[in-house]
Amino acid sequence: MSRILIAEDEVLMLKALEFKLKKDGYEVDMASDGRQAMEKVKANTYDLILTDIMMPFVGGMEILSFIKNDPLKKNTPVLLISAVGLENVVLEGFSLGADDFIYKPFNLNELSVRIKRYIKQNEFN
Amino acid sequence: MREFLVDFEVLFNNSIFYYAIAVMISYVIFTLLSAVEMNSYMKKNSYVNYREILVSPLAPSVSILAPAYNEEATIIENIRSLLSLHYGNYEVIIINDGSKDSTFQRMFDYYKLEKVDFAVNYQIACKEIRGVYKSKLPSFSKLTVVDKLNGGKSDALNAGINVSAKDLLLCIDVDCIVQEDAILKLAKPYLEEKYQVIATGGVVRIANSCKVEDGKLVEVNMPRNLWPRFQVLEYIRAFLMGRMAWSRLNGLLIISGAMGLFDKSVVIKVGGYDHNTVGEDMELVVRMRRYMYEQDRRFKVVYIPDPLCWTEAPADLSILGRQRNRWTRGTLETLWVHRDLFFNPRYGVLGMLSYPYWFFFEWFAPIVEFVGISVFILLAIMGNINWEFSLMLISMVYCFSVLLSTVAIFFEEMSYKQYTKGADVFKLLLAAFLEPILYHPLTVIWAMQGNIHKLRGKNNWGAMTRKGFKKEVVNQTENTAT
Amino acid sequence: MSIFDNIFHYIGQLYTDRLPYFPTNIRASLMIILFCVIAAIEIYIYILFKRIVKMREEKQIKYWKEHIGNVLANIIVYDETDNTAEIISHFYPRFKKIPLGNKIVNQIVVNEILLYRKNFTGKTAEVLSQLYRKLNLDKKTRKKIANRNWDIKIEGIREANEMEIVELASAIIKYTDDENALLRMEAQAAYIKLSAREPFHFLDRARERILDWHQVVLFEIITKNKKLTIPSFSKWLYSPNDTVVMLCLKLIEHFTQFDAEEELKRLLRHHNPKIVKKSVEIIGKLELANAESFMFEIYFDQSEEIKLEILNAFGRISSGQYADFLSSRIYSTDIKIKKEALYAIKRDPDNGKNKLREIYNQTTPENQALIKHVLDDRIKQE
Repeated sequence: MSRILIAEDEVLMLKALEFKLKKDGYEVDMASDGRQAMEKVKANTYDLILTDIMMPFVGGMEILSFIKNDPLKKNTPVLLISAVGLENVVLEGFSLGADDFIYKPFNLNELSVRIKRYIKQNEFN
Repeated sequence: MREFLVDFEVLFNNSIFYYAIAVMISYVIFTLLSAVEMNSYMKKNSYVNYREILVSPLAPSVSILAPAYNEEATIIENIRSLLSLHYGNYEVIIINDGSKDSTFQRMFDYYKLEKVDFAVNYQIACKEIRGVYKSKLPSFSKLTVVDKLNGGKSDALNAGINVSAKDLLLCIDVDCIVQEDAILKLAKPYLEEKYQVIATGGVVRIANSCKVEDGKLVEVNMPRNLWPRFQVLEYIRAFLMGRMAWSRLNGLLIISGAMGLFDKSVVIKVGGYDHNTVGEDMELVVRMRRYMYEQDRRFKVVYIPDPLCWTEAPADLSILGRQRNRWTRGTLETLWVHRDLFFNPRYGVLGMLSYPYWFFFEWFAPIVEFVGISVFILLAIMGNINWEFSLMLISMVYCFSVLLSTVAIFFEEMSYKQYTKGADVFKLLLAAFLEPILYHPLTVIWAMQGNIHKLRGKNNWGAMTRKGFKKEVVNQTENTAT
Repeated sequence: MSIFDNIFHYIGQLYTDRLPYFPTNIRASLMIILFCVIAAIEIYIYILFKRIVKMREEKQIKYWKEHIGNVLANIIVYDETDNTAEIISHFYPRFKKIPLGNKIVNQIVVNEILLYRKNFTGKTAEVLSQLYRKLNLDKKTRKKIANRNWDIKIEGIREANEMEIVELASAIIKYTDDENALLRMEAQAAYIKLSAREPFHFLDRARERILDWHQVVLFEIITKNKKLTIPSFSKWLYSPNDTVVMLCLKLIEHFTQFDAEEELKRLLRHHNPKIVKKSVEIIGKLELANAESFMFEIYFDQSEEIKLEILNAFGRISSGQYADFLSSRIYSTDIKIKKEALYAIKRDPDNGKNKLREIYNQTTPENQALIKHVLDDRIKQE
């Protein structure tokens, strides 16, 4: 079973994502702020990481740059959730190696299809 | 002789009584004004979605200016937390003010800095800039480091202004803990006031005994040490009550040196920070206000009551004493340089209200108190004291100051409620009883020392500032006399 | 008698028998002491009371948040293919068990539905909207809009906006020009989203200022809403309300509306320098080469700020028409003008950088430093 980490500071959003991904058959780990997420990322390996950009203590960008600079973890797909449509934020995200951006508001079912695709892709690599 | 002394005592009692009444009335008025302002701020901003400024390309651009002098222990962490603030369009400018330790080298190594061909436009005079550095890594593209010769805090800020490429300047103490949404909240008034906003200031809170991780505040606690605890009380009173009211009157004189957002164009027009005073934060705001009055432009200086910035307060009495001594000198210097404002109608609220208030109730109050107590002791020695009446007058002042602190705590409870534990609030209420006896007399003595130092050492102004600012330089707040 | 009795007796005496014999100031201070003591005690009691009530409330809120969150999360994870009505009727009984009559609980339900509605699109949004109606929450929203207090009104308008209750558009339009700035903005924002036919009608009737802050909010709504049909904003550039003009300029810029060209040229002579500056900026961004001569005409009468903007626009357009003018500007006495002119020269897509290098060889040391600065891509332009 594939393992996914969701990092999101809005409890309700976290819950919705948790329910959805569990229903899709993934093993779900959760972090409700950036610090927690960072600890979990350091301690475990995941098949995919879904993280909000704006979080207390540690932002999604920092988590992203940590993963992409770690030789063992850098292949883990990272999807950034963001309400920020600013060009420089998107550019920064991709330059740090983000695999995709999810803009709020988004379609849950579409997200679930995307996640499936990234996980499949990664299995072949 | 005996008769004269009795008359003198009556006169003395009366004048102390009327001065106390005047101070108390001013506090009551300020409390009411603050209540109105707080209420309207809270009501107005409960509907605000700050993310909208965060994402908008229309939001004003901000340069954070943080001077660093011998900060090697914490500089890496401090920069990291500044780079992760929640705002779209901002840059971080760290000014290394000729540190004698490895501050610069640490930044250089950690952030992979390289020198760029920056042609500095010296719009404001400052000591020579040796180089401007940027990071080679894309994730630190917001960071600029300015390396310059030592010239003190004001000079470092001026150098930062010359390098800034944005519209607004957020001047901060580098060792402060800045809340992530600080820029958002400070920038908002620039977008919503009818008149031009020239500066916004935020609340400074005390971080002693609070839990801090990775340069961020994780848990708010009441300081365990008694001296910082008194300062918590003092800060809450000064910020939630004093400054809120002044903001309402549009007569705010101080934007705390620990955190303030300024309109860059106006700062440049007035020539930046003044090197010749130790109260550069207050002096700048006064000068900016003056300038706007002289240009006949309507403007506002706004104050945000949200806790946006946390700082370590001095727990050591001698350091605290030096800080207060310096604040007094800063106030005195600013009042002296701008003495022509005194009841000058050309300068509106600034001349007719803010300046005189500062003169009579902020600068003069400790002196009155000091003289009052000295005369009281003298009379007591000569046996000419109606102990009962004196006790009543003292009780009145004491009760009032306890009430004032209690009301301040009440404001805090009704608004931000930073101290979530009931025990912490209890400790604070208890501190309100001890403060007038234990802490307040010290502030009076320190203020007197400041005045005496200033008057004696008029010609060695420069020498005091050129040493550079040290760790203990916290920030300027009202030296509230209760 | 103990010592405490003595003290009480003494204080009692002060306020009764002895009071008339004291001088005025002593009497006044006794009164002030009394007042302070009573006021402080009242505040202590109030703080204590408030804390206890809050603690209880928070417990309750925590419980219901968790509970309602679980029910809602179950609803929204349905697949795209499931029937909306079926989902609702399946979960409706669970909601019936929640005490919606309780004000706090009701508000939690509303807030949570609103939050999900704001963050999700597609099926989820549809299900939530229907649920909102089914629970009769839309009726409460309507009542809130009709309330007398402006803050309640705002709450209602916001709910209508986020849940997209289009029927309420007609109830909202009358507040789009209200004197209360907060209410006005909230109504305008909602109206754009809810009015199917003329979402921008309020711009025709806006007499009150649209504050910069509100422009930010409206701009976000207009540019992020994909369902909106975007009109040509140039028709509002004649508005006597400068803030309407500013907002429309920003939108013209965002949607790159080239049909505004003639209007933009006209606005170069507008009395409001902010509007002139913005017009110049847009002319540059849209690369309207035909407007270059108009900008040149006004250049020398402008403030430094607008001059800089015009130089920037020349750089963006880079038609070559004003290349000599830009080169001449680097001998201005104003460093900012010099720098801006150099940046403008650099922008020339053909040989801007080479041109700067050429100039470098034959100019003053000061200009050489500036050229180096401009050529250094690590430094961002102001």
